[in-house]
Amino acid sequence: MNTPIKSEAFSIMTQATAGLENPAIDEWKAQGGKTIGYFCSMLPEELFLAGGLLPFRMRATGSEGTDGGDSYFTNNNCTFVRHCFSVALDGGYDFLDGVVVINSCDQIRRLYDNWLHKDISPFVHMVALPRQSGPDQVEWYTGEFHRLRKSIEEHFKVEITDKGLREAIAVMNETRRLQREVYELRKRERPPITGAETMAIMVAGTAMPKVRYNELLRELLTELETRELETTYRARIMVTGGILDDPTWMEAVEEVGGLVVTDGTCFGGRLMHCDVDEDIVDPMEALSQYYLADRPSCPRMIDTQVKRKNYTVDLAREFNCDGIIGEKMMFCDMWQVEQFMMTMDLKEEEIPFLKLEREYITSGTGQLKTRVQAFIETMGK
Amino acid sequence: MIVAGVDLGSATGKAVIMKDGDIVGYHIAPSTRHPVETAKQVMEAALDAAGLDSIEAVDLVLTTGYGRLKVPFASENVSEITCHARGAHWMIPSLRTVIDIGGQDCKVISLTNKGMVGEFLMNDRCAAGTGRFFEGIARGLGTGLEGISGMENQGPEPCTISNQCSVFAESEVVTLINEGNDFKNIISGVNLSVAKRLKAMVKRLGIIEGVALTGGCSKNDGLVHAVGELMGIEIKRLPLDPQITGAIGAAIIAGEKFEQASRTVA
Repeated sequence: MNTPIKSEAFSIMTQATAGLENPAIDEWKAQGGKTIGYFCSMLPEELFLAGGLLPFRMRATGSEGTDGGDSYFTNNNCTFVRHCFSVALDGGYDFLDGVVVINSCDQIRRLYDNWLHKDISPFVHMVALPRQSGPDQVEWYTGEFHRLRKSIEEHFKVEITDKGLREAIAVMNETRRLQREVYELRKRERPPITGAETMAIMVAGTAMPKVRYNELLRELLTELETRELETTYRARIMVTGGILDDPTWMEAVEEVGGLVVTDGTCFGGRLMHCDVDEDIVDPMEALSQYYLADRPSCPRMIDTQVKRKNYTVDLAREFNCDGIIGEKMMFCDMWQVEQFMMTMDLKEEEIPFLKLEREYITSGTGQLKTRVQAFIETMGK
Repeated sequence: MIVAGVDLGSATGKAVIMKDGDIVGYHIAPSTRHPVETAKQVMEAALDAAGLDSIEAVDLVLTTGYGRLKVPFASENVSEITCHARGAHWMIPSLRTVIDIGGQDCKVISLTNKGMVGEFLMNDRCAAGTGRFFEGIARGLGTGLEGISGMENQGPEPCTISNQCSVFAESEVVTLINEGNDFKNIISGVNLSVAKRLKAMVKRLGIIEGVALTGGCSKNDGLVHAVGELMGIEIKRLPLDPQITGAIGAAIIAGEKFEQASRTVA
């Protein structure tokens, strides 16, 4: 067992990750602040920040079942949307003043339909995401951001200025830089932090005011600089895949000896792989360029597989990983096909690869542990 | 050197005692509510069978199976995937593919010539084609597991069972009974449906000849026969009870670990 991280910053972050509404959000609201939920990492948090809103990345942490949502979805809808809608029906998102949805996948689109049907939020805006990420699409996506900007300004009666956007970009680039620093420490032969702990830190970043979060990250980094995990692990693992916001899943992997040292998930490494280009004059264009084109994307985007493969392989090598675990939720078509191609690619690269399918809420970790342990054993570890 | 392998599965617990590389005792018992309790029970019975007085006589205990992480008297644990590979290879060194069908999982494992795991596939959170599946079917047919396993129970014209879901397959069987289908054809149909599922899994990994079935369900002759027929290959039968394959593998690895530790100390 490792000695727990001492700094208060970490316990504040863990608390934010372990539930939905948390003290940092309550404090924000008590001061009259507004909050907005958003459904995918392709949405520009900077835009919300510049509108004076606290962005909250949607998840259904703590959901105990999909029963509420099941009446509105079918059996081949993923459990992420079914859990989210169950939480919504139970009033679990009542602390939000609105949500922004995006057609990143058909699951989310059906969630949007139901969200409107049941009139869940006082403000709902749908952003249309292109399939490709070339210059034409960046221009088009910039237009979508302008539409979102106007819609927020009108509903929340705020003015989003270019100056405000530039400030928000600077704050979030700082967040990304600090998060990269945390990841950088994991390159050490004996990392100062587990994958489960890192996930708690990353998810917290999507659930509290950014300036406060940056302060906490700085505080935490001071402790991590000299910390060293006491447990000896058998293998260094990279995790890749889609929505994964549950540290207990990582814990199960680590409990059987696979220390997660990096990841390419959309609550983790992909969020901060690079920065928004502050040299681009128009901040709206800079955001579009970043979210659509610059950042490692999800398999949802066309013609990005090779880029993602290179990103994955480079990351695995950079962090000296023994193997990669690809996780995906059941019924996620995007990652299903991606994993098929990744199996072939990684074989060629001679990097051991394990595919794992899961449900949104982690349960029954027995099978998961068996697979991961056997995977580590096949590597001769 | 006396070592033990304990395989704590979802349906049964298995313990194997090995002395200098030979099996001197083993025991199989249904899993209790607690893996530690199951481990104690099968261990005591296996020690008894080996003519040993107490666990003190054992140099190293290694666990595998679902309950592997919780046993206090075990010093190591290894996944059942590796253990089945090692155990099966120990019994038949020419094996290259192991199909393990246990209480709630089925796994297809490809083996290296040293009996190490090359690749593996495991069914996804669904009991289709596992012990639980057969238990449900047996219930639907109003018989026990032995009622669907023997070759004498296999009908010549297997009925079609299209549902892979254990629960739905059980109701499909009820429908077939009510339609007046021959009982034995239903049974051979059930075994064929599981064989088809296994074939798909094996094909995904690539069939390498030298195939054996392990785990409790491999005691089902009807299933073994159906798998062989469907894949057009010979299924090798293990010389020992196939249900203890994982425990044998665990004991073998225990022996290696013990020797390794002794060498380090020396």
